[in-house]
Amino acid sequence: MVSFTKNSKMAEIILKNYQLLPIISRFGIKLGFGNKTVEEVCANKNVNAAFFLEILNSYHNSNYFPDNHLGDFNVDVMVDYLTNTHTYYLKSKVPHIELFIDKMEREAQEENSRNINLLKHFFSEYKFDIENHFKEEEKHIFPYVIDLEKALSSNNCTKELIEKIKHEPIEVYERNHDSLEIKLADLKNLIIRFLPPLNCEDDCEHLLTELFQLEYDIEEHTRMEEKVLIPKVKMLEQKVLEYYGV
Amino acid sequence: MEFEERKLHTVIASEQYLVRLGVKTLLNVIGIESELHEVDTFDELEYFMQNDENMDYLILSEDILQKQRKIDCLEYVKNSFGLSSTILIGKQQFPTCVCDHFISYSCSRKEVVDKLQQFFYAPKANEQQEEDSLTLSDRERDVLKAVALGFSNKEIADQLFISINTVITHRKNITSKLGIKTISGLTVYALMHHIIKAEEAM
Repeated sequence: MVSFTKNSKMAEIILKNYQLLPIISRFGIKLGFGNKTVEEVCANKNVNAAFFLEILNSYHNSNYFPDNHLGDFNVDVMVDYLTNTHTYYLKSKVPHIELFIDKMEREAQEENSRNINLLKHFFSEYKFDIENHFKEEEKHIFPYVIDLEKALSSNNCTKELIEKIKHEPIEVYERNHDSLEIKLADLKNLIIRFLPPLNCEDDCEHLLTELFQLEYDIEEHTRMEEKVLIPKVKMLEQKVLEYYGV
Repeated sequence: MEFEERKLHTVIASEQYLVRLGVKTLLNVIGIESELHEVDTFDELEYFMQNDENMDYLILSEDILQKQRKIDCLEYVKNSFGLSSTILIGKQQFPTCVCDHFISYSCSRKEVVDKLQQFFYAPKANEQQEEDSLTLSDRERDVLKAVALGFSNKEIADQLFISINTVITHRKNITSKLGIKTISGLTVYALMHHIIKAEEAM
């Protein structure tokens, strides 16, 4: 598959793969590109084009592996993007899904409304899980990552940071990074295989579409964290230790 | 049907003489050659299940189940005999009823005959299961129930008198049959299918 480059036309990218729409909005890029290229659009919006392209390409093609370009951007742009993605899930995707479940619950017949209530409960548990997962990352992981980069650029490194690199490196987080897609897959299975047929097929179809999209998006998000963020942080940890001669 | 050396044993359980007589007559009509045993109280049925291992089929009329405790009685029958070889006769199939076979009091003669025929001549559920990849075996249901109730593999192994490895194998099979991986997903499945009750899931 051909990758997009900084000279690709922004409009053509979206025409080719509409699923990239939510990605561009996470960067604050709006429609109405005219004939502008990726580079031009990014320059207008003050977006790091190299990083933007990495995200577009890996989202567009799951075999794309951004290994050559790890050094081309700072982690702060990446942390920004990941934080925006969290917000997008919680503020846009999750409420959508809840809306459809609620609608289905209202329209279903008695016996089935009990089943849908179970699914609703299941999803609210899931919401709680991802909220915690994101909070943990935003509170502990992302600031750590930023601190690492600062330590290198500012020539100033606290003792605590060195301690943290030694005792609680990113590897610990990597090992405990649990998957957020499994429960979503279960929810889809419960609906597709086991929920007795509904009379509100439209809502059910919307709900499933949302679930498939969210699952795909979260998979991609996890892939970014595991294949791009973590390797990059490991590299930074190493550099900081070397730089300060520990 | 294949020739079998041992004669089949069928228990007809009902309080009412007329029901038992009616069932016997119809069995005769469809040509079931089976040793017939009649019981008219639940205690007697319980006794029979505990002491006679030769029981092959159970025709169970709802009236014999103790009032208020119908579900528990059925649960008991299920655990000691299994429901794949049980047919229930009653007013209506209760929502939590796990019987595969059911005859309603309001069925016509033809419907009753058809259902009895299906019951005796259809392959038994446990023989069928190898093929039917979506149905859980009785044992898998037990394991699923315990998982949904929040027990650990070790606890489940102790409860069911099986090894932890067997529990793990059952869990793998359950997941591959249902396509559900997480404990909370399995709990939802168990609730949807009345394998556990909502109060228990707390």
